Amino acid sequence: MKYILLMSGTKAGVEGYHAWSKEDIEAHMGVLRRISQDLTESGEFVATQGLAEPKEAKVVRGEKNGVPVTDGIFPESKEFLLGYWIVEVPNAKRAYAIAGRISAASANLPIEVRQFATNEAKSR
Amino acid sequence: MKYILMMNTMKAGHGVPDWPRKDLQAHIAFMMGLNKELHERGELVSGEGLSFPDQAKLVCADKNGRPITDGVFPESKEFLAGFWIIDVDNQERAYDIAARISAAPGPGGAALNMPIELRPIMSAPPQEMV
Repeated sequence: MKYILLMSGTKAGVEGYHAWSKEDIEAHMGVLRRISQDLTESGEFVATQGLAEPKEAKVVRGEKNGVPVTDGIFPESKEFLLGYWIVEVPNAKRAYAIAGRISAASANLPIEVRQFATNEAKSR
Repeated sequence: MKYILMMNTMKAGHGVPDWPRKDLQAHIAFMMGLNKELHERGELVSGEGLSFPDQAKLVCADKNGRPITDGVFPESKEFLAGFWIIDVDNQERAYDIAARISAAPGPGGAALNMPIELRPIMSAPPQEMV
């Protein structure tokens, strides 16, 4: 079963992270690297990515004629995706355990766990 | 340049949309056709649809690092319904693809014109974090 673990935060939260000490950021990144390594060794790793800062985000809509309209204005409360992990695990419990490790490495930030639509198709 | 295009259109508690079956099929056929075209152009890195928000969980670690799961979300929260990772020559091309996804057909075949969030992907962590 494939799951995506989503780490999100507000712009204010991202600024707070930049105020962390260099040692704290290194320790945080070190644990995240270790988690990726462990998942690779257990065969559960599919992919991970960090996203560029929220200030780079745009929202795009198609106009009537299909021409893109871009905007970069978001409400202050909006949660931006900061990064994600895709894992392939036997059950939801294991996905939650991995999300718990990521949370613990990241100041107990909540991690949203979502399964892929293809899992549902398989179980139908 | 790599970008992620995110369709954040779902709200808490939502399940399968209440559209006529043929409209759902047309929507899915549009998405599959677009994915095929992006794949043939060598621009599609990956794409997935997510299960509906009624199955989403939020996980936090407790003091001992054990997971605490919760499924209660604010009503205002936007849920990711699906995403595309694309590798394109420039930002304009990324905007064009996002606009096509935005205009995917909805009920009665009308363009949904849904907002698509577009974000550059970091190819590597910033130097100070390595």
